[in-house]
Amino acid sequence: MAEYAILLDTRFCTGCNTCFYKCVQENRLHDVAANGNTRTLVYINDKGMYHHRCMHCLDPVCVANCPKQALTKSEYGPVLWDESLCIKCQTCVEVCPFHIPMFDETQKKIVKCSMCAHRNFAENKDAVPACVEACPTGALTFGERKAIVEQAQKLAADFKLHIYGLEENGGTSLLILTKEDPAAVGYPEVEKKAAAGGGGKSPAVIGGAVAGGAAVVAAAYVGLKKYAERRNQVENDDKK
Amino acid sequence: MNNDLKLSRRTFLKLTGLTTAYFVVDPPLRNLSVAYAFGDHPQEKPTYTVTKKIPQVCARACECDCNYDVVVGVDQATGLERALTLEGRPEDPVSRGKYCIKALGFVDSMYNPDRLLVSLKRTNPKRGLNEDPGWVKISTEDAVQEIIDKLKKYRPEQMLFASPGDPYSNRLCRSLGVTRTDQRTECFGTHYYLNSLMITNPPNKYYSSTYTVTHSLWGFDYSETKYMLWFGFDSFSKTGKSGILNHIVEGKRNGTKIVAFNPLKTPLADGIIDEWYPIKPGTDLAVTLAMIKIILDEKLYQADFVKDYTDAAALIDTETKMHITDESGKWLAWSTANNKAETLGVCDKPALDGGPYTVDVGGKQVQAVPVLELLKQNVKDCTPEWAEKISEVPGQDISRITKEFAQAAPTVCIPNLKRDPAGPNYANSWRLMHSLNILQALTGSLDHDGGVLFLHGVKIPWLEEVDPIPKPYPEQPKKSIDYRTEYPVTNKIYREKDYSAPGHYGMVGHGLYHSDQVKVVIFKGPHRGLHALIQPQMTEAALEKMDLVADWNMYPDDAAYWCDYILPAPHQYEGGKLDIRQYYPKWPCLVGGAPVQKPPGDCIGWGSIAKKIGLALAPEYWTTDGSNNPEKAIKGNMNDAALQAVGAAKDQDDFINNKNAIWIDKKPYENYKTIREIGYQRPEGRVRLYIDEFVEDNHEGLPKWAERWTSSEGEYKFSLLVTRAGWHMHADPNFIDNPVINMLSNKNHIDCVWVNPEAGKELGLQEGDEVIVTTNPKYMPELPRPIKSKIHLTERMARKDCILLFHGIGHRSKWLKNGVWGYRDGDLIPQKNPKIGKPHDPTGMGWVEDVYVSIKKA
Repeated sequence: MAEYAILLDTRFCTGCNTCFYKCVQENRLHDVAANGNTRTLVYINDKGMYHHRCMHCLDPVCVANCPKQALTKSEYGPVLWDESLCIKCQTCVEVCPFHIPMFDETQKKIVKCSMCAHRNFAENKDAVPACVEACPTGALTFGERKAIVEQAQKLAADFKLHIYGLEENGGTSLLILTKEDPAAVGYPEVEKKAAAGGGGKSPAVIGGAVAGGAAVVAAAYVGLKKYAERRNQVENDDKK
Repeated sequence: MNNDLKLSRRTFLKLTGLTTAYFVVDPPLRNLSVAYAFGDHPQEKPTYTVTKKIPQVCARACECDCNYDVVVGVDQATGLERALTLEGRPEDPVSRGKYCIKALGFVDSMYNPDRLLVSLKRTNPKRGLNEDPGWVKISTEDAVQEIIDKLKKYRPEQMLFASPGDPYSNRLCRSLGVTRTDQRTECFGTHYYLNSLMITNPPNKYYSSTYTVTHSLWGFDYSETKYMLWFGFDSFSKTGKSGILNHIVEGKRNGTKIVAFNPLKTPLADGIIDEWYPIKPGTDLAVTLAMIKIILDEKLYQADFVKDYTDAAALIDTETKMHITDESGKWLAWSTANNKAETLGVCDKPALDGGPYTVDVGGKQVQAVPVLELLKQNVKDCTPEWAEKISEVPGQDISRITKEFAQAAPTVCIPNLKRDPAGPNYANSWRLMHSLNILQALTGSLDHDGGVLFLHGVKIPWLEEVDPIPKPYPEQPKKSIDYRTEYPVTNKIYREKDYSAPGHYGMVGHGLYHSDQVKVVIFKGPHRGLHALIQPQMTEAALEKMDLVADWNMYPDDAAYWCDYILPAPHQYEGGKLDIRQYYPKWPCLVGGAPVQKPPGDCIGWGSIAKKIGLALAPEYWTTDGSNNPEKAIKGNMNDAALQAVGAAKDQDDFINNKNAIWIDKKPYENYKTIREIGYQRPEGRVRLYIDEFVEDNHEGLPKWAERWTSSEGEYKFSLLVTRAGWHMHADPNFIDNPVINMLSNKNHIDCVWVNPEAGKELGLQEGDEVIVTTNPKYMPELPRPIKSKIHLTERMARKDCILLFHGIGHRSKWLKNGVWGYRDGDLIPQKNPKIGKPHDPTGMGWVEDVYVSIKKA
């Protein structure tokens, strides 16, 4: 199965938030959106349009830290959330370096983009996420991640744009092109790493496909690494 | 935004605890067993199942009128079938498969629990914001009958219908002989009247009764044009207009150059605009006059077009200042070949400059000069350096941009729609609109592929054309409550050419408040009018003294406090529609819409109300035989007639059910053909640069520099800018009573007053401070109503001398339970005293933003 990604070219984003409202309707999120909890929302900031939405990391911190595997990274791109497994601990809300998952107190739900996985674009080649379908200017495009990366790199080179998401947290399945420094626009400054090999499949997916031993090693590595990072962070916090 | 991943000690301990618990309870390999076969994950399950898709045409969200499908399905969460969302129709040449957030909002507003589904009648005779009307339910039939019985007691001049000029409103008002006025003055007025006076000369063969009746005959070929000048065109509201945006972006991707003049840095300036100049508010006219001068001095105009399709060579009498005509009324020009005046069109080598020429007119020798020569003299002092001093746009840039623009002609355009500076924003905006049209004429871009596209090859007839009236309508009142009778330029068009022309909403509140002439006001959706726009407090005070106020509305909005009756209106998706593609008329095209559901409750359509009132009070205009027999009521099959005229379908049902609700004739655009068909002096139609009617009203026939009405004085030093979020439409409850939309506004500071950070600093203000904004009392001597709001300090406010308010966010209706009581921009904008206004503007439009205000910490 191909791995998919979204490209957001903020040059053509007008902040109209049609993507936001389409997402609300597509996923029937009216109540949580009214509470301020959204899967995607565009902030009209001084230096450009900041889209608050899941980056669908290749190596998602939320997935690695979710104690119940309620969050998983699918092999075709989106990071998905299973309400039935979620214990509402909000670990994902705390650990996401992009500050994306939101917790709706009234419905006790994690609110985070699913890349419209229900549209079945993995099997239906004409299907795209609802936001991509609705964007009036075509600022959002959708396709196989490899092609999206190539498109982003070409546009960045041709028009001197920044690419956000290529290296942030080891790469993501949402790539964002900005004219200004992404940090100035409002995108969080996230540690840059080399892209994860193999597209950053979730432990669950890997477990289903290869011998579990490799996954255990991977999981242990990720866990230890996160633990070390967090310890360093806490130590740094304590020093402040 | 916190950009770093930071964990508190508490969080770390929480995570550690959870992780430990997890490893104890669930072994590490457990997570490998929860893999989902594709399609099994809960988020891979559809949230709804589609049952049908119904074509619709947007009619209230903006002027684009996008065509799309309303998707009806079963919501998995509730099991109920309802309209859920929209899907694009790629075949529509305007929307091209897109729609906007407002249109999506309309889907949900069908089910807004605050919708009015029954008629209401007041029992407390005292009106006012703090009074409980004591509503009682009444059947709509009974309510309409009671209104009719009351209307019988009043003379026509005692009644005012506040309604757009749709076919039924027009026929009703004309048959009763009452004044109709509407809010589109502020949106379209200046554009409409200048276009009428220069180009369209209504009624013309494409004069259509469309649903939004925007009165613009043209669209802009954004996707094909090479160069665009935007004078405030990129207001925030444009950021949400998908029917325009999808074309603009295609053009941009094809290399269109866009230069914008706007004191506000809108999102379009972030990525789409090539050059942006933070112009001083109300000075755009100076820049355009300089541009005209450069084009004339350097002969950069399209000479063939100017000669053959405009009045540039027509002679103006130097004494009367009017066009000189031959005996048949045709304009005369000076033949340089024969050294005499000849009829323009057959004139051999007409002079574009020089003079004065001596012309024999009916045996009298007069001195005359060609229009283009007069224009040249008019702008002789308008150098780029002069314009720079006024506008603060660098003169060298004005010069360069003008040459680039002229070199790209005729595939250039200056989009000017609705509330950009060429709209009715300043007292000099009518001159600006005149200048912009002249620039487009000089560059030959009017009625040209890649420039300004003119509607052609299709029309939707007016009611009178399918159901002719048996005798002329009665005279309108001699004295109109909106003072239009005191403005001969616009009044002549309204009375003699186009009754659907915009009224003078910028003054109607003044008229109602300062006289006792009117006793009855009938509103058609006032949230789009009196209470959303100019000085509603004056209208409110005036309504308190009325005998009868009735409102046809989807919601009990602000006007409800003053209404005696409110009749429930259907939702825009609950009616059938037919529409021309007015805002991208590259090809003759018709699109249709079908009702998504039957109007619920006791809702009544406006056409039905108009028919009932008309049949009761002026039956001879509402029956086919002049009787008062309802069975003989006119049918009003305008849609069927339009479809049959082009062979699109036999009727509306056939069009919707069998023709995919679209008809389009994709033949190549024939440049300048429509000008010939509709312009002045038709059938050899031309664009008229020089406007005699202005001269007759003691103004100039060509644009000249003029200051704004107001100026900065003391603490009132901030020019008031007004724009609208991409997700609002006036104070329409379809949006402001939507909690999801309100959340979005809050996140984006749309509910704040926007202030330049430096200006805020000088005032000692910080982000989020509450402030009081007050209009200079010199320009608002009566009923001032300062507004209170939080401020947002933002670099998008590029200038320190202006502040920005968002239009249409405020309301005071306690019956809109989801609404937020935001500020109302209109509270700061004075109703205009016509005696003061007339010397500034012969069109008498609104001058909406011609206001200076002060800001103080609350």
